[in-house]
Amino acid sequence: MLEISNLSKTYQRGNKEALKNISLKIEEGEFTALLGQNGAGKSTLINILAGNVKKTQGIVKIGQYSIDKNELETKKIIGIVPQDTGYDFVFTVDEALKNQSGYFGIKNNDDYIDELLEALYLKDKRNARLRDLSGGMRRRFLIAKALVHQPKILILDEPTAGVDIEMRHTLYEFLIKLHQSGTTIILTTHYLEEAEILCDRIVIIDDGKIVADEPKEQLMDSFSDEVRIELHFDYELNLADFEFLKGYDLKIEEKTSLKLKVPKKDLSKVFRMLTEKNLEFTNIFVEKPKLEEIYLKLISH
Amino acid sequence: MKKRIIFYNRTGFTTLLNREIHRFMKVPVQTVLAPLISNMLYLAIFGGMLQTRQVGIDGVNYLHFLVPGLASMGAVFAAFQNPAFSIISQKFQNTIQDLNSYPISNAEKILAFVFGGVFRGVLVGLLTYAATIFFVGYEIEYPVLFVLSLTATSFVFASLGLICGLIFDNFEKMNFVLAIVITPLAYLGGVFFEISKLPGLLAAIKYINPIYPLVNVTRFAFIGVYEGNIQVQIIITVVLILGSFLSASYIFKKGIGIKTV
Repeated sequence: MLEISNLSKTYQRGNKEALKNISLKIEEGEFTALLGQNGAGKSTLINILAGNVKKTQGIVKIGQYSIDKNELETKKIIGIVPQDTGYDFVFTVDEALKNQSGYFGIKNNDDYIDELLEALYLKDKRNARLRDLSGGMRRRFLIAKALVHQPKILILDEPTAGVDIEMRHTLYEFLIKLHQSGTTIILTTHYLEEAEILCDRIVIIDDGKIVADEPKEQLMDSFSDEVRIELHFDYELNLADFEFLKGYDLKIEEKTSLKLKVPKKDLSKVFRMLTEKNLEFTNIFVEKPKLEEIYLKLISH
Repeated sequence: MKKRIIFYNRTGFTTLLNREIHRFMKVPVQTVLAPLISNMLYLAIFGGMLQTRQVGIDGVNYLHFLVPGLASMGAVFAAFQNPAFSIISQKFQNTIQDLNSYPISNAEKILAFVFGGVFRGVLVGLLTYAATIFFVGYEIEYPVLFVLSLTATSFVFASLGLICGLIFDNFEKMNFVLAIVITPLAYLGGVFFEISKLPGLLAAIKYINPIYPLVNVTRFAFIGVYEGNIQVQIIITVVLILGSFLSASYIFKKGIGIKTV
């Protein structure tokens, strides 16, 4: 669906190398998170796909079309939700979405516009001017705008920045449904739990290079050589009683809860030791590292 | 089969053109009424003051001389402002990059912006004429040529407006061009008086002022009388149309002001 080979970008102004020979292939139906710090190269990549930035070298194919040879065909395949919530002062939501349909050669798109407005909770704002919408509404409007031509690939550049928690979860539900209906989605975000909830593939860009590109579970597993265990007891604990677990970063919290970090290979050994000591815990939680920790490990310089 | 790249998406083109027209029609007081009132004031003040003096072409009533000049000047400003304002306001609103996401060919985009300006320019020019009917009557010597000439004038300045919109990133710079370049050219372009009557070197301005032949052709269409060589001025008009449009096309296709390199 999207194929990028040896893509580089050096901005003429400041001679800044934003992308360094990256390659990436995204298959139809994938939900990919594109993560990276500010200035890592995510927005440059998205802007190249959108046609806003001219690449320095490399090949980009959207669908079966090259952006060099069939740029206009590629426009029909992607929908882009930009980071900036720029809007036209003059038009209403309805007018802007009808115009957007027209730019893509679509006439009489009212039914689909209705569906989008309904799904994004904007139906009662149909005749409101864009300048009168709140920040969250504008973000949802931008998603509707990117979808009026029913693109096969939707690229969202930090779509939930500045959106309240409730509306963020509404957007998650919308994106999940959209993905289930077959749309390939690429999401950039600084909320890593968002990527963890929604995406099935994680691509991390750092300093213009791809430093990780794996299915989410695989990436999480590959960094899960250590797990966090939390044991709950129904009596007060004393750290001295757990001397035998020294070396596993022991901590007692709220007097009755014991936390420790255990390498996967030692899991059986730790549980054997606990059983031998006849320690009766009332609850147990085993936690893998979060995407956030993996991300920080990968981009630490 | 591969579609022709110049006319790739007709619905996209007409939507973009409609937007450019719709944009100024939503604020008619600023975009149409204000220039119309200015022109009427020019007509009242200059027309009233200078009617009895030896200004304009000999043997022609000064009001008849002035009306096509005012119509041309109205067209020049309106046509220039429409694409320039549209592009700069899109930069200001952070929506300029939307232009890159549409499956509309560059030629269609350029034509949509230029035609939007042409529509506004011709509208202001014709309304200026319509408003002066009470003072000078409705007769036009060559009505079709009059409309064509207003269209040509608007086309040239809409193309120049598009160039300025692409190159400049704020309204101050656009207003600077309007105040420092376009306005003096319009005043010295034969709108209010016959340039040849200017003393010495000032009379030579007509050779370097693109507004001069455009006003003169429009005046010829309106009253059937002209200053200088009308055939040469028609040829210059055609050259100006091609030159301004090709320059706008070159700048647009290079992505100046809309793409990052």
